[in-house]
Amino acid sequence: MNFAEAIDLTIVGKGLMVGLGFIGPAIGIGLIGGSYLKAVGRNPEAAKFFGQALVFVAIVELFGLLAFASTFIVK
Amino acid sequence: MIFSLFNQMAAESGPSIHVAPDAVFRIGDIGITNSILYGWIVSAVIIALLIWAARRITVKPRRGPLQLVEVGVDFISNLVVNAFEDKKVGRKYVPYFVTLFFFILLNTWFGLLPVVGEGFKSGETPLFRPFTGDLNSTFAMAIITMIVVYVASVKESGGIRKYIRHFFVGSPKNPLYFVIGLLEMFTDLTRVISLALRLFLNVAIGEMVIAVFAYLGSFAAPVTALPFMLIEFGVGALQSYIFVILGIMYLAIAVNHSQAHDAEHADHEDLTEDARPETIGASSAQSTRG
Repeated sequence: MNFAEAIDLTIVGKGLMVGLGFIGPAIGIGLIGGSYLKAVGRNPEAAKFFGQALVFVAIVELFGLLAFASTFIVK
Repeated sequence: MIFSLFNQMAAESGPSIHVAPDAVFRIGDIGITNSILYGWIVSAVIIALLIWAARRITVKPRRGPLQLVEVGVDFISNLVVNAFEDKKVGRKYVPYFVTLFFFILLNTWFGLLPVVGEGFKSGETPLFRPFTGDLNSTFAMAIITMIVVYVASVKESGGIRKYIRHFFVGSPKNPLYFVIGLLEMFTDLTRVISLALRLFLNVAIGEMVIAVFAYLGSFAAPVTALPFMLIEFGVGALQSYIFVILGIMYLAIAVNHSQAHDAEHADHEDLTEDARPETIGASSAQSTRG
C-alpha cells in the first residue's frame, strides 16, 4: 500500500498542532510563576500582586486553548 | 459532560464530548438549546438569591451565609472603584461588573452538578449544559460587555471624535501614528473574540477533561473525575474574575486616558504635540488586593 495513503494526515496534523501548541503557554506560565516567586522572595510585600499574575496567566493560556480550538476548524 | 452519578456506564464507545449544544425543544421557529435552558434556570436562582440577600443586608455585618455575598460584592466593587482615578465615575459601573461576576461564577459552578450531562437526557441529547460552556453564550456576553465599554468610553470622553482621537498618539496626519492608531482600533475589536474564546474554551476543556477521566474509570467514575471537578471550581472562579477585570481594564484605559488628556490639553487643541503613549500603568496594578 502506498505509504501516503496509509496515514491520515489530518489527524497527524491535528495532533501536532495541539501538542506543539501547548509548549509555548506552558513555558510562559512557568516564567510568570518564576518571576512572581522571585519578586516575592526579594520583597515579601509583592505578594499583593498575585491577582495580577493570575491575569497574565489567563492571557497566556488563551493561546494554548486557541491551538486546541483550531482542531475544530481544520477539516 | 459525562460525570453523572446516575449513569456510570454511560459511554459504550468512548467519552461523550459535545462541543456544540443541541436543541431540546423549540419555541416557534427558534430551537432552545440545553445551555439556554440551563442559563434560564441558573438566572432564576441568581435573581432569587441576590434579591433575598439584598433584603437582609444590614449596615453592620452579621454572621451568616450572607457574608459570602458581601465578600463577592465587596471584592469586585473595590476593583472597579480603584481602577478609575475619579471614584464617582467608578461607582457608576459597579452594578454591571458585580452582576457579570456573579453570573459567570454561578453559571460555571452550577455546570459541575451531577445533574448536568449524560444523566438526564431528553431524547438523546443531554438536558442541561453549563451556559458558559457554549460559544454562543460567551460571545453574547463579550459583545454586551464591549458595548458597555464602548458606550461608557464615548460618554466619558465626550463624543465619538474625541474617543477616536485617543487611539492616535501624536498627530493622525503622521503616517506611522496613523497606522498605529488603526492597529489599536483593530486590537479593540479582537478583544471581543479573545474574551469570548477564553471563557468558553476554559469551561469546555474542563468538561472534556472530566468526561475523559470519567470514561477511563468506568465503574469508579466519581472517584477518578473528582479531582478534576475540584480543579474546575477553581478554574471557574479564576475565569470569572479575569473576564470582569479585563472588562474593567478596557474601560479604565479609555476613561483614564480621556481624563489625563483633558487635563493636559485643557487650554489648546495641539494636535501636533509628541505625546508619550499612556500605558495601563499603576492605576490598574493597585486595583488588586492580596
